[in-house]
Amino acid sequence: MKIKIIAAIVIASSLFTYSCTDLDEELYDRVEDGDFGQTPGEIQALVGGAYSSLRGFGDAISNSYPTCEYVFFLNEVASDEATIPTRGTDWYDGGQYQDAQRHMWNADNRMILSSWRYCYTGIAKINSIIYQIDKSGLSDEAKAPIYAELKSIRAYYYYNLLDMFGNVPIVTNFEDQGLPSNSSRQEVYDFVESELLEALPLLPANKVYSKFTQSVAYSLLARLYLNSEAFVGVPRWVDCIEMCQKVTGYSLTTDYFASFLTENQTSSEIILAIPYDSAAGTVGNYLSSMSCHYLHRLTMSPTGDYQWSGNGICAQPGVYSTFEDVDKRKKAMLQGDQINMATGNVIVMDSGEPLTYTEEIVNFTNAKQNEGVRLHKYEMKAGEKWERDHDWVVIRYAEILMMQAECYVRLGSPGLAEPFIQQITSRAGTEMPAVIDLEFLDKELLREFIFEGKRRTDNIRFGTFFQPWWEKGTSDPTKAIFPIPASVLSTNTNLVQNPGYN
Amino acid sequence: MNSTHINKVHEKRTSKMLVFLMFMLFLSAGVFAQQKKLVSGVVYDTTNFALPGVTVTEVGTTNVTVTDADGKFAFQVTIGSSIEVSYIGYVSQTVVVDANTSTFTLKLQEDTFMLDAVELVSVGYGTMRKSDLTGAISTVNADDLVKGAISSTEQVLQGKVAGLTITRGTGDPSSGSSIRLRGGTSLTASNNPLIVVDGIAGVDINVVQPNDIKSIDVLKDASATAIYGSRGANGVIIITTKGGTKGMSINYNGFTGVGFASNRLDLLSADQWRGYVRDNNITDAIDFGGNTNWQKELEQTAFTQSHTLGINSGNENSGLRTSLSYFDNEGIIKTSGIERLSANISTYQYVLDKALKFDMGLYANIDKWSPLDYRIFERAINLNPTIPVYDANRNFTSVGGTLYENPVEILTNRKVDNKRHRLLGYFKTEAKLFNDFLAVVNTSLEHNAMQGSTYKPSYAVLEGLSERGYAQKTYGEFTNAQIEAYVNYTKTLGKNNFNAMIGYSYLENIYEGFGAQRSGFETDIFGYNNLGAGYNYRLGDVYSYKGKSNLASFFGRANYSYDGKYMLTGTVRRDGSSRFGANNKWGVFPSASAAWTISRENFMESTSNWLSNLKFRVGYGVTGNQDGIGEYKSLSILGVGQDSYYDPVTGTWSLAYSPTQNPNPDLKWESTAQTNIGIDFSLFDRITGSFEWYNKTTKDLLYTYQVPQPPYLVGVMLANVGELSNKGIELSLNANIVKGDKFSWDANLVFAKNKQKIEKLSNQIYETEEIFSGSLHGLSGMSNQFSQIIAEGYAVGTFWGYESLGVDESGEIILGTEQKAIGDVQPDFTIGLGMNFNYGNFDAGFTGYGSFGQEVLNATDMMLYDNNRLPAYNVADDFLTSGITSAPQFSSYWIEDASFFRLQTVTLGYTMPFKKAGTKLRVYVLGENLAVFTKYSGVDPEIDLTGLSNPGIDRFNNYPRPTTISFGLNFTLAN
Repeated sequence: MKIKIIAAIVIASSLFTYSCTDLDEELYDRVEDGDFGQTPGEIQALVGGAYSSLRGFGDAISNSYPTCEYVFFLNEVASDEATIPTRGTDWYDGGQYQDAQRHMWNADNRMILSSWRYCYTGIAKINSIIYQIDKSGLSDEAKAPIYAELKSIRAYYYYNLLDMFGNVPIVTNFEDQGLPSNSSRQEVYDFVESELLEALPLLPANKVYSKFTQSVAYSLLARLYLNSEAFVGVPRWVDCIEMCQKVTGYSLTTDYFASFLTENQTSSEIILAIPYDSAAGTVGNYLSSMSCHYLHRLTMSPTGDYQWSGNGICAQPGVYSTFEDVDKRKKAMLQGDQINMATGNVIVMDSGEPLTYTEEIVNFTNAKQNEGVRLHKYEMKAGEKWERDHDWVVIRYAEILMMQAECYVRLGSPGLAEPFIQQITSRAGTEMPAVIDLEFLDKELLREFIFEGKRRTDNIRFGTFFQPWWEKGTSDPTKAIFPIPASVLSTNTNLVQNPGYN
Repeated sequence: MNSTHINKVHEKRTSKMLVFLMFMLFLSAGVFAQQKKLVSGVVYDTTNFALPGVTVTEVGTTNVTVTDADGKFAFQVTIGSSIEVSYIGYVSQTVVVDANTSTFTLKLQEDTFMLDAVELVSVGYGTMRKSDLTGAISTVNADDLVKGAISSTEQVLQGKVAGLTITRGTGDPSSGSSIRLRGGTSLTASNNPLIVVDGIAGVDINVVQPNDIKSIDVLKDASATAIYGSRGANGVIIITTKGGTKGMSINYNGFTGVGFASNRLDLLSADQWRGYVRDNNITDAIDFGGNTNWQKELEQTAFTQSHTLGINSGNENSGLRTSLSYFDNEGIIKTSGIERLSANISTYQYVLDKALKFDMGLYANIDKWSPLDYRIFERAINLNPTIPVYDANRNFTSVGGTLYENPVEILTNRKVDNKRHRLLGYFKTEAKLFNDFLAVVNTSLEHNAMQGSTYKPSYAVLEGLSERGYAQKTYGEFTNAQIEAYVNYTKTLGKNNFNAMIGYSYLENIYEGFGAQRSGFETDIFGYNNLGAGYNYRLGDVYSYKGKSNLASFFGRANYSYDGKYMLTGTVRRDGSSRFGANNKWGVFPSASAAWTISRENFMESTSNWLSNLKFRVGYGVTGNQDGIGEYKSLSILGVGQDSYYDPVTGTWSLAYSPTQNPNPDLKWESTAQTNIGIDFSLFDRITGSFEWYNKTTKDLLYTYQVPQPPYLVGVMLANVGELSNKGIELSLNANIVKGDKFSWDANLVFAKNKQKIEKLSNQIYETEEIFSGSLHGLSGMSNQFSQIIAEGYAVGTFWGYESLGVDESGEIILGTEQKAIGDVQPDFTIGLGMNFNYGNFDAGFTGYGSFGQEVLNATDMMLYDNNRLPAYNVADDFLTSGITSAPQFSSYWIEDASFFRLQTVTLGYTMPFKKAGTKLRVYVLGENLAVFTKYSGVDPEIDLTGLSNPGIDRFNNYPRPTTISFGLNFTLAN
């Protein structure tokens, strides 16, 4: 009997010894937000996150890379400089590229969602970083320049939203989780302007590569004023010139392509770039592989030591011939026979035909594999990784020159535009035009900034966007901005769709 | 003998009252004794096993007692009266009490047909007699489990339990299966039932090998599974392993088999391709001069062997069982397969006059396998059949092109070796207290570790060339430490049976791991063994991780039955998990059920000759599913990930910290409310069966719902939103069709029908119109395209697209104008069928299973019926005669009914007669997957229908299922 009682005690006590009900989560390989942002190193790591957000991301919902899929693709394909033709079944993908090409996109288009999320994910990250910095023990003096830097990056995202979507909600507070309503395009415009102007004095005055400096803010303001008429109906050419004049310390490189080399961080022309380095784990930078033919690797080295390519985006027919042969910038495109480095012969495609990139694309909805000249602006090197190492150029000094030239022309003083155009054409190896007019500027902007993702905005400003070209007819003025993505609209009932998309 | 048994209860009553007030009522129900004559005895079965719980009645009176755990009884009876000893499943016996006899030793004969009535069924934290069950529980004994080359243990249940669908999407021996009970209650990944092995919940089913299983109980309805609370919603599979038995026995069980591909896609042969090129005057097609069937080039004849040796010994107080097994299961695709060495030891010991029992056991196994690169299957279909595997220099032929790498090269040059160790150990103490109480403490530890090694040499076309050699090592492990303690109280008073259990459990899961990869190797000679020899280093090339979760639970159950006629059961469990959000740390999961064995009523006397058992059951309960929640999902977390930033001042890269998820402090389990009505019956002493009807609704569906940006940080958020229902019926039948001395014939049939519907996808906070699933991503021209929809009013896996209205004269598929529901992957019904025949020393049998009415997308055909493929890419034979000219586009044209019935195993055995009892030798031939009956046009109609990514989509990555013939031997030596 005693023994039984002892057994009972032993068992009962073991019951209670282990009666643990602690359910707090213990973290080992990550950190809760409240536990981070105390040391200077941690603050730096947080601010670094705002910069790294500029590279975008890919997830199950969208591919939000500014460099190709799909932010770049959307802006390029909607413009008159590039196209993603369907080749057999390849690159059909639910018709999203065809729709964009024909300006028949709807709110379900994944490229549109990708662009929206590129901006708002960046904005939300920056809002959360501001919140973290707010909670940190830093003094107000120490916080101020950090806020200025963060808010200018955020303003850059809002500038993109202003350009692409117009009437978007303005969200600045991380803790506010209420469903926001649209702001008008004018309000977004005003917000971008005031945020940049407010941040300006606290931003670094000197040139710091890849950082949001005063020159970057001035350049963004110049862009804002240049497109002011298109955005909100108020031309501000003089303001644009004023901002351009404040951008100092930069010059054109002798070689046009110096800004597009793998090691382009030394270019004197780059005002803002998004840095990439595959060894540092950066992702999304593989545009060349989205453009070249499947067998293009054979042209790169005798062993074909180059990444797989997917045979997608190429120049719209008519673009290649816009360049004179003497124009050094024409090399931004690949045209003609592609040579197999191992054999010295032209590559033979699956179909048995030679791989010769042609300007013409006969059937946009079922193009031949070799049709379309290819994007070749950034350096391509044998042996390079899938994730390319060149930095992605966002603003370069040539744009400051071209903006001023355009403003003077628009203000009726084409003569004042000459010194700017002179710099551009002399580097390109082309002749100065007899008259600098808008028609010339339109074409020159295409030539100078081909495949830099800016063409759609230029097309809209010049009005060509709404005229028929190649595969598209006349576009309604409402096409100047994209619709708010359907999935965003359906989850936030406070939002109103942009005009023309209901 | 224990003649003071009843008095002791009286003595102890007061102390018990203090501790367990709730039991008072039953204790004080009055134990009375007339001063007549004390008789005592012990009741055994025919194998001399003491039978507890046997009813001993003084005939013609209400004077009744029952035997204790040792089969003993003692009570006062009138001299000259008769006592009847009765026990369900046994033939009752009556003896006369005369003046001289006061002790009896009684042996009860089994009533063979009623055997299942005494079968003890595991119900979680204890067992119950099958006849006392109130919930829906199916039991499968070792003899009835599926036999053969089984590399993943759940496959022993395929087609055996009504409502339990086990699907292995491929014939790859290293792949597991999906297990679904009564439809699936969740949109998130895990719908797998909870696995319980020898009382230890939540373990990897593969820790147990098929030969070690004694029986499996499948808890199906909520009244049965609610005892497992937040893990019970998808059902519970309780595996009981063989343990030491009385005496000594040695058993060897082994087989060796040959497997080969049973089917492959009909593609153009090289000659057909040449004929096509000639007939169509295609001048620029390239004929590489070979004659290759690329699918065949990947295949091999698979040899499989399995050996298991088991040793049992035991006596009155202890038992020991050990087993050792080796299993080598080659796959029919070169390099694939799995090799497993496993060992199992379990022992128990009674001490202190059986007041204490110690149980311990250890299961361990090691798996080795080389996972396949599944990309070979698409290549094998793409490649032109005139391309030879090797060129003139015996190098692999390499013809550039998209998805056009030589699959034999991929298979040969890539080296991937995986290893997994599984370990489960437990120590269990059972103490009998105050006669009626049984206290149990069970501590266990499960440890599972996996190591992966990959090397792609610098000459390997896929990723080797471009990386100049690529090596990777990964290691991951998890440990589940668990303690469970519970007290069982059992009391029988007259015809009243009372049982109660109360307990506590605590589980701690820790997972951790690390990995490293490098590329850029000057030499390939190290393989994956020297990562330091690679000179390319990238961020993310080394990593490690660790996480932890806890689950704390309190649970209880009470059963009451009267006279074997009326049964009531109630259970409750309270679960708290660290994974739940701060606002919902604890959940309560109750259930109640009742049963009425109507056949025991007097008014059923007249039908008892043909209806020996008829029982109605009804139950309701709420259970949970928390598998969809990973660790730390409710918190606001900063992570490093791939977020590096460039510091222009130093010219270096550093790591950024960014928030990675939307915090959700409301995160909690999914809860499933289920009603079950069941009928058990026995007819003509030959047929037993049960019928179930259920209706379950799952609320608070976990899903990573899309949330609007802004204001949310990221576009998705794990939250509890929707509602999903499953309704269905199940029928199980067992029949002794012929039971003769020489010849017998048994059959069993299971049938199940389930209907699923998404009821809701939105609530006040989250709005979801639809979720697209069934991704077609990766198919040419279908990037980011989906084939299925998850929307209110539809079942999961509903195809959504254009309807095909036929084919016009030019071969274009005409499509409807609007997208709509065009079929779904949910089967209308599933069946399992098995038969066994015995004739003298010969035995034969077969098992099969089928699924009917499910629709699948034949994406293989959809992509192969493409004019653009020829001449570079191969196409299906019948494409050329089909006249289809449309470019591949998803529509109902490619959706097919994939109903099938598979003849899973056929056996023929002969048992050699031995004079010595207990010695047995059986030899057998076993055929697996000998036939599939289907109208489906693809390679195999059995396509995994679960998950959200691509359920019911046949997209040419199907590893073909082998047909296998094995020869086996089973030898037992015992004394």
